[in-house]
Amino acid sequence: MVRADASPGRPGPASTARWPLPPVLLAICVAVAVPLLPSAARAHAVWIGVLATAAVAAADFKAARRGRAMDALREQYAEREAALQRQLAEQEVETVRMAKEILPEAMARLQQGISVEDVLRSTGRPSRVSPRFEAAHHAVLRYVLQAVEAEEDLRDAAQRAFVNIARRVQAIVHQQALELREMEDRHGQDPQVFGDLLHLDHRTALIGRLADSIAVLGGARPGRQWQKDIPLFNVLRGAMSRITDYQRVELHSVADVGVLGRAAEPLIHAVAELLDNATRYSPPQTRVHLTAAEVQSGVAVEIEDAGLGLTDEARIRAERALAQHAAGGLDLDDLGESPRLGLAVVGRLSHTNHFKVSLRVSAYGGVRVVLVVPPELITVTPVPGGALAKAPVLPPPRRPSGPKHRAEAVAEEPVPADGPRTANGLPQRRRRTRAVIPAVRPQQTTPSATAPRPPASDGHSAPAGLWMSAFLDGGPEEDSGTSSGEAPARRPRRPSDEEPEQ
Amino acid sequence: MSDPEQDQHRAWEEGGPERLYVITSGRQVPERHSSLDMVTLIVSRNEPGPGMQPELAAIVRICGYPLSVAELSAYLHLPVSVITVLLTDLLASGHVEARASALTQSLPDVELLEAVMHGLQNL
Repeated sequence: MVRADASPGRPGPASTARWPLPPVLLAICVAVAVPLLPSAARAHAVWIGVLATAAVAAADFKAARRGRAMDALREQYAEREAALQRQLAEQEVETVRMAKEILPEAMARLQQGISVEDVLRSTGRPSRVSPRFEAAHHAVLRYVLQAVEAEEDLRDAAQRAFVNIARRVQAIVHQQALELREMEDRHGQDPQVFGDLLHLDHRTALIGRLADSIAVLGGARPGRQWQKDIPLFNVLRGAMSRITDYQRVELHSVADVGVLGRAAEPLIHAVAELLDNATRYSPPQTRVHLTAAEVQSGVAVEIEDAGLGLTDEARIRAERALAQHAAGGLDLDDLGESPRLGLAVVGRLSHTNHFKVSLRVSAYGGVRVVLVVPPELITVTPVPGGALAKAPVLPPPRRPSGPKHRAEAVAEEPVPADGPRTANGLPQRRRRTRAVIPAVRPQQTTPSATAPRPPASDGHSAPAGLWMSAFLDGGPEEDSGTSSGEAPARRPRRPSDEEPEQ
Repeated sequence: MSDPEQDQHRAWEEGGPERLYVITSGRQVPERHSSLDMVTLIVSRNEPGPGMQPELAAIVRICGYPLSVAELSAYLHLPVSVITVLLTDLLASGHVEARASALTQSLPDVELLEAVMHGLQNL
């Protein structure tokens, strides 16, 4: 029993060599004791001693043999135990490998679009463990992969359906926006109708943003494509026009740059989502500040609200929401909650367009979001001064008031005109019917109309005043030059201004 | 130039992603400035300031000589109501002044109208 513990270290032969020791000792003891005994007892003692020695020897021999057998057995068991442990360890290693390497790898390959069979074939490899174990592992792998594939297919189908629907909504919304704009132009003079149209327009834009968000999460492009570069100012205002509380957004200084057409829509959408979050999670009476400045690494669009701010935990969560959608498909969970939806969209857009988004605590206590647009998406502004893109269409109607122009105009004008009186009337008529007709007649209106002129200070308001007085004086002959000089200056530039007057 | 309809359409297509309600910041045409009608003449009193909303700056810039509200609307490709809202701002800040159009209470005489008609036909 004592040796059981020590058995691994104790060599078997030592015990077998020691077995004769007790009988020998007994024999020696007998040999020593027998001469000391009285002679009468000697013969008995010798017999007993011999018998005892023989018995001990026999017992000891037996014990030794048993011991040897036990040692052999123990060794055998130890070997088997080691083998089992080795096997167990291998199985464990194999299982761990399965969990940590094979399965993720197979999953990754599956997501690359490789079929389940191919993945299984490529991951199968000769194993040291038993074939049954191997087969079981294989079965598990196959089962998991098939389940994942089925799930993936389902998700793909759902995603395609979502994107498809979103695309259709986008198309309708775009069409409706165009039509609304036309209606706004048509009914621009009726404040009631116009206000209602604007309201509808706003709601339509909100629908459009939602559709865009779903499309983006489904891996498609956001809504429209812009052919031309767009001034950053218009991009930011475009973003403002897609949120509910656009009135709370204060657009401050904006860098005079343009955004490449292909990046405009993603930027508009990303900024719109960030603005939406900012307005949604700050008290309704506070303002949200929107600025854009050029920085070393591009252009930084900054959105600052005065809301509750962001705990560290919330910030980490938000940043994770921004980051986790760099890859992967549509997560239907995202469609539920609005901050997550928005951040997921921003994350996706940032990933595809290399925007950098960071969230910080604002000095106002709210959140300060900085979105950095990389320089390769920035261009010189298509309209210097960041003015509305239509600015080039605007006539710069500096009146050519020089005598040369006037002479030309006079030479030109009387030809089609009937007489001096109508010649005077006609160029003015181009301006506005009602504006002119009374001006020719009632002289008494002149002082009141011309009186507030003095505040006009600089160079070009003086000619304007001159023209006005001539116009209002209604003297047919002497100022025909002035008034007709006015007309050619404006006439070529207004192909479209009859339209809204009707 | 192409026809105005086309032109305007393109201006919107190219013009920008912003919608009209952002330009007016969602404000409706105020009642008290209903004096601004299509033919009210607008003249700017000073230069557009820095950091001005581009539409306001544009109005101030092109109103160096008097333009009617309708003309502004045409030049800027913005509906009259939007222009009215913007003008209300500009009037309040003193950048422009409005000059009431001449009175319209009396009808013009037929002779003049005929002359005008002939003039137009001769054009």
